[in-house]
Amino acid sequence: MDLGGPPEESAIEAYGVSKRYRRGWALRECSFRLPAGRICGLVGPNGAGKTTLMAMAANLLEPTNGSLKVFGAAPESAEAGRRTAFLAQEKPLFRRFTVAETLRLGRELNPGWDQQAAESIVRAGDVPMHAKIGTLSGGQRTRVAFALAFGKRPDLLMLDEPMSDLDPLVRHELMGTLLAAAAERGTTVLMSSHMLSELGDVCDFLLVISTGGLRMAGDVDEILSAHMLLQGVDNAPGQGRNPSPEVPADLARHTVIEYRTSGRQASALIRPDGPVSDRWQSHTPHLEELLLSYLRCPDAPALISPGAQVPGRLHGSETEAA
Amino acid sequence: MSNVTSTPIDMNRTAAPATAPKRSRGPRLTGVVWLTWRQHRAAYWTILAGAAFSVLWMTIQRADLIDFLTIHGWPGELSADWVQGAGTYSAMFNKVGLGLGFIPLVLGVFLGAPLLAGDLESGTAKLVTSQTVSPNKWLAAKLGISTVVVVVCMTAISLVFGWWWAPVKDENNILDWTAGAAFDNTGLVPVALTLFTVVGGVAIGMVLRRTLLAMVVTFVFGVVVQVVWAMNRLNLGQVVTRTTDKGVDGSSFPKVPSGSLQLDQSYVTGAGDTLGTSTCVHAASKEARAVCLEKADIVGWSVDYLPMSQMSGMQWLGSSILLGMTAAVAGFIFIWTRKRLV
Repeated sequence: MDLGGPPEESAIEAYGVSKRYRRGWALRECSFRLPAGRICGLVGPNGAGKTTLMAMAANLLEPTNGSLKVFGAAPESAEAGRRTAFLAQEKPLFRRFTVAETLRLGRELNPGWDQQAAESIVRAGDVPMHAKIGTLSGGQRTRVAFALAFGKRPDLLMLDEPMSDLDPLVRHELMGTLLAAAAERGTTVLMSSHMLSELGDVCDFLLVISTGGLRMAGDVDEILSAHMLLQGVDNAPGQGRNPSPEVPADLARHTVIEYRTSGRQASALIRPDGPVSDRWQSHTPHLEELLLSYLRCPDAPALISPGAQVPGRLHGSETEAA
Repeated sequence: MSNVTSTPIDMNRTAAPATAPKRSRGPRLTGVVWLTWRQHRAAYWTILAGAAFSVLWMTIQRADLIDFLTIHGWPGELSADWVQGAGTYSAMFNKVGLGLGFIPLVLGVFLGAPLLAGDLESGTAKLVTSQTVSPNKWLAAKLGISTVVVVVCMTAISLVFGWWWAPVKDENNILDWTAGAAFDNTGLVPVALTLFTVVGGVAIGMVLRRTLLAMVVTFVFGVVVQVVWAMNRLNLGQVVTRTTDKGVDGSSFPKVPSGSLQLDQSYVTGAGDTLGTSTCVHAASKEARAVCLEKADIVGWSVDYLPMSQMSGMQWLGSSILLGMTAAVAGFIFIWTRKRLV
């Protein structure tokens, strides 16, 4: 693991970012960095603060405490505004505009507009240029919103639940377009999603937040290799499924994220600290298994990999770099 | 990474706008101005068409009025019997004046309130502000274009109404200059009243973020503005007091300039005090009354009035107050959105 300082440019740096609404804290003390050029998945249960985090980076919200930097600039700066594109979850568009007028909006309001890229996305879905947005299907509208975000040629593209109303075929196609465009231009993509399995195919970086706090951040490979999924026999079997079984003593030295039993079968997700007793069968978890464990156990200690840390910030007591 | 960020602007600008609009009337709009006009064009065209219709209608009414006046000797001295046929014209002035009086309310509710509330409610404010455009610029375009449309329309209506009214302006029995129908539809007043109501509606919509609710609240706001304005309209003038010392009988009542609004009349004593006109009203006979008046030392009349010559000054003063408040509300809008637009 590279313990040196962050060598690459950061797309986003968050320093103790908190956001409070009238109902309470939506996000608390988030510190991380997202290196430029990554495809980053933003994962968390509903209401965890994903949208809030993106909206702050897109200068739609101001943090209550802390600060954010987008490519080293404040989100409200013209520089950051030019380099980021944000596709909100509800994909707002002017309903009475035609598709062509919507693209003209992008052209009129963005100096770096790429009309061809935007048009090709629209045409790939056979969306008629002179149809009013209000008459389009949900998927077609998402496509136009995508085209608008892409046409801006951003360096940081933030997508909030981009795929939720698309059929699997279109999802696959648009994801392909997204990844190709991102790879070609070195675009950083930050996207929130509930589709954990698909994130695994697409993302090389992860941010996991739940109940307002950052649970995990870092390179996907680093994160996976830092964990171990153990299977074995439970020493003290309870009656059937035990929701909160006692963690066996031989695992106590490791960081146990989740320990579950089913009859005599026990499984544990741990961050190993030294060798594991050989009564356990161990293997590297899949991303989906890992994320599910973290989402099920919001109290598990946070893991912020070195590449995801910002200098001069305390990243919780369990930081790997410590 | 960084070479990607510096994509030449010109290259993309020329990147074939294959879907250029079919044709554009008038000057080609760009940027936020285009966006604002495109988004609200139905409202703007409706307002412009409505103003054009009003102007045309009043022009026809004026021609009608001039025909009538010409028969009775206009532009010279009018014949004595002209007033007999003037009732329908008076009614028309009052009807049109009343109708025009609703414009601030209507524009406030249907143009002002939804101007920002619509975008905030539907999320399109997020869409626009996540483009490469500063929220202030967008806001300035929205407020600016709406202001221009309102000013153009209301100025035209004000000028034409004043032009229509001018031949009979001095005749209080056709249209009383102190009434809203005249005072609020001429000079700068209709422009200022409408602007204030519209910008107030924008601010209400911005705070409430719900179109329908904002329209209802703006309606109430507009009504309150009208009521407060109507109640304070005459306070804008300087009341003139005229006193006499020729007694209070017969034709001793002082003459006030034609078209003046008489606010109060009373008796005045030798010492300069005023007494109500009911003084000595219970005297049994003429002689008794004379004695009574003598005893009270009443020497003449005191009349309070607003001369018509003040109308223009009052309109300027009132309009400046309204425009000042409009500017304050506009400032509030910009300050508020700096903190939180979406």
